[in-house]
Amino acid sequence: MTSLPRSQHIIASGLIAAVGVTIAYISYTQEPAEAYVFPRLISSVFAVLAIWTFVKAVLGRTKVGNGISGDAMLKMAPGLVVTLVYVFWAAKALGFYTATTIAFFILVSLYDPAPHTQLKTWVKRIAITAGFMLVMYGLFAQLLNVFTPRETLF
Amino acid sequence: MRKWIAGAALALAAMTGPALADGHASYPERPIMMMVSYGAGGATDFQARIVTMTAGNEDALGMPIAILNRPGAGGRVGWNWFATEAEADGYTLAAYNVPHFIAQSIEGGVSYSTDDFEPIANWGADPAVFVVGADSEFDSMADVVAYAKENPGGLTFSGAGLFVGHHIAALQLEKAAGVKLAYIPNNAGGAGAMRAVIAGEVLGGVNNLSDAFRAQAAGNVKILGVFDLERNAFLPDVPTMKEQGFDIDNASVNFRGVMVPKGTPQEVIDRLAEVVPTMFENKRVQSRMEAGGSPMAIMTRDEVIEMWAARQATLEELLAGL
Amino acid sequence: MDFLFYMGDVFTPINFGLLLLGTIGGLILGATPGLSPTMAVALLIPFTFQLEPQQGLILLGAAYTSTVAGGAVSAILLKIPGAPANIATTLDGHTMATKGEGAKALQLSFLASAVGGLFGVFLLIFLTPVLAQWALAFGPSHLFWLAILGVTVIGTLDSSSVVKGLLAGCIGLWLATIGFDDIMGAQRFIFHPSVSGGINVIPALIGLFAIPQVITMFTKGRSSDDAEIISVKRHPIRLAFVEVLRRKTALFIGTITGTIIGLIPGVGGQIAGLVAYDQSKKFSRESEKFGTGHSEGVIAAESANNAMVGPSLVPLLTLSIPGSPTAAVLLGGLLIHGIFPGPDLFMNYPQVAWTFIDSMLIGQILMCIFGLYIAGLAARVARVPHAVMAAVVLGLAVFGSYSVQNSMGDVYVMASLGVGMYFLERFGFSAAPLVLGLILGPIAEANFIQGSMIANATVGMGSYFFTGWLNWLLILIVLASVSYSIWMEVAQRRYTTKDDAVAKEEAMS
Repeated sequence: MTSLPRSQHIIASGLIAAVGVTIAYISYTQEPAEAYVFPRLISSVFAVLAIWTFVKAVLGRTKVGNGISGDAMLKMAPGLVVTLVYVFWAAKALGFYTATTIAFFILVSLYDPAPHTQLKTWVKRIAITAGFMLVMYGLFAQLLNVFTPRETLF
Repeated sequence: MRKWIAGAALALAAMTGPALADGHASYPERPIMMMVSYGAGGATDFQARIVTMTAGNEDALGMPIAILNRPGAGGRVGWNWFATEAEADGYTLAAYNVPHFIAQSIEGGVSYSTDDFEPIANWGADPAVFVVGADSEFDSMADVVAYAKENPGGLTFSGAGLFVGHHIAALQLEKAAGVKLAYIPNNAGGAGAMRAVIAGEVLGGVNNLSDAFRAQAAGNVKILGVFDLERNAFLPDVPTMKEQGFDIDNASVNFRGVMVPKGTPQEVIDRLAEVVPTMFENKRVQSRMEAGGSPMAIMTRDEVIEMWAARQATLEELLAGL
Repeated sequence: MDFLFYMGDVFTPINFGLLLLGTIGGLILGATPGLSPTMAVALLIPFTFQLEPQQGLILLGAAYTSTVAGGAVSAILLKIPGAPANIATTLDGHTMATKGEGAKALQLSFLASAVGGLFGVFLLIFLTPVLAQWALAFGPSHLFWLAILGVTVIGTLDSSSVVKGLLAGCIGLWLATIGFDDIMGAQRFIFHPSVSGGINVIPALIGLFAIPQVITMFTKGRSSDDAEIISVKRHPIRLAFVEVLRRKTALFIGTITGTIIGLIPGVGGQIAGLVAYDQSKKFSRESEKFGTGHSEGVIAAESANNAMVGPSLVPLLTLSIPGSPTAAVLLGGLLIHGIFPGPDLFMNYPQVAWTFIDSMLIGQILMCIFGLYIAGLAARVARVPHAVMAAVVLGLAVFGSYSVQNSMGDVYVMASLGVGMYFLERFGFSAAPLVLGLILGPIAEANFIQGSMIANATVGMGSYFFTGWLNWLLILIVLASVSYSIWMEVAQRRYTTKDDAVAKEEAMS
């Protein structure tokens, strides 16, 4: 096993162990105590298992999990940024349909292997986006009557 | 630059001003959502769906009302959302359950109280009843209390949760009979509490009259008493608690109705307060409610405001002893 | 044989039309992410106001049947389980789809659903009185042990390390405690307003399964090598029949587990698929193939979740108690027509009751026919590039999780859990045990607290939780399951990740 996954395993299991210990601490200190009987039980098991995993990671005995390669991180970064901006800001601020149209189009353009220089590619991308949005609008707005946040346009 | 912004703001105000002024005259312009803080299929959900079914008619609101369920923790999840996050634009309504939300606000730990909501109208009143399994040795409340006196804290009985109507009824019974009981709140609501009684997991239970009526018709339970001031038309043979010698009033009766969040425009409230009670009076609505065994009690906005204030006072007194 | 007598009523033009409408509508609603069967049936209730009682129930019964099966479509093609019932279907079904066997997976799932579903409805017809007693037998102590049994299953479910499986389960159990505690009403672990109402299972489910898959597609970048997600091979229906019949063990275990679990009020369909999947994995001669696109996994999961449909109505029809949320909605559909379910339902309203049950039988068959047709269509929708696939799944995930409660908070929870799950998956954790923990947490906690309240008022904790044959039986199964997990951890040689296992599997075949 190379050192990259090993240090990643240490960081990941360290974070989980920290969460485990924190919730165990909260469970044993918060009031009212009778509402925390069950959280105490599971957070204790959680903390013990998480620390065990952490110790195994530090000793380099982790058997499963490949970690994330640098290449994968670079490739996912733009998509992840678009996703996070879309979900946590645009969907509410711009309205669901506007934000989804934009995010969908950007994502398709970002990861579509077809060459960016041809007009045909862009027509195809716009057509796919429009088709998807039509299906979404028909299904959620018309059929199911879901009122999604609408700020700009629709 | 500042001038430009001011000018733009002015233009914007000029554009939106008139729109706002007559904006509420055409209310509602789109479908309305009504939040029910209990799961789909529960008594509140079921009744809410029936009483709002005619909302789309021309003589009512002209727009349908869609029911949205936000169940959890005896209604706290839904009402908390309604008080803190729901938009006060008239397109978000909620069903209320009194005494539930008032008792929970007195007990604390939630972000709502009667001041955060504006009632529109009341549609139903569902009293609590005391039920025991069909093969139970108890035949009257006197038997139940006698058992409880012999086994202090040993009489287990189920209800839909803590600080809901059933729990209030249980507290009133404890106080009036002067005994200690073991109230077991059920996480699956009234249906779960009823199941516990039928399966014999508990010796008795407090439940909704509408559900108990059905369970009795199916031959699964006996109904021993009604927690109300008068006998109920659905169960003319079942005596009230007062008739059986326990000084218990109607504080636990489950009133169900429609409300909006504080801050909703007054014009919208007035329009809803005028139209919604007429929806409840619709013949088709009434016959469906009757068929489902759900007692109705239509009250206008002013009557509900009064009822909320009265409940608030009673419950503060009852829960102060805890 | 009353049910045969009323069979003709199903085929009157209006009734059969409604049955078709309910089946097709149910398949579409079921395939929509975020719409659980309960919500789909609740959405149809207003339509039944206008109908005769019999017609209304035909519509609802057909919709219930087909939404459960329809969930398999999005679970297999998109890896978005529409409802908890379809979680287990994603484990092998979606892996099959990525290998180009999407049409086969869909065919198997609809055939298995029909077999399980028909068995479940026949049980409902013939054994209702016996089953009613069984449904009542489970009190708080038994439900608590049952939930613990579910937790022990976590360790071996779709996970290559028992410790990490259990840890993922613990994360799920902890996530379930966020928000208001169901009984006392105390607020716990509310670190952000989005979770103040607790974590809703359906948005969580969508995020945990769909988002890691979206990110995985991102990591492939703009590569044009054959990274297409679903390039479906045609698969003759005849071969699907043969395959389903050949996998007798999985079909049998799935159907039996589904019917038994479907009967238990409050647990029901949510975990039937997962438990059946885990059981057939343990009994299978090819257990190491589970999770790598193995047909037994799909067959067991789908036969179980449709087998539970019939039995889940037993407590409603005999005792007038809805045993599941969907049954509660169906109860509403009966009540608006003034029909009270109960032991004399079949005497007072035979025409309504029997036609309803018959419509569920015919509905299963129609569902299967339309399902197989959809599977055929899926074969034509070949070669979806992964860029489009990622964007489609993300858009559906956002809309689906919003529509559960019209809540932005749910969308935030969905995305946060999803992104977190991607990283967890890279370090050997899997989503299935986490979701199982999320579902079982409230069941275990509420029944433990109710049980201990009853115990303290009566016989005491020790004898309440540890006496009675049903408690003993459940404890024994828990112990057996734990020992099996330990034995697995010690004795089996383990593969590194699911990806590796899939690769190894492909190399061998």
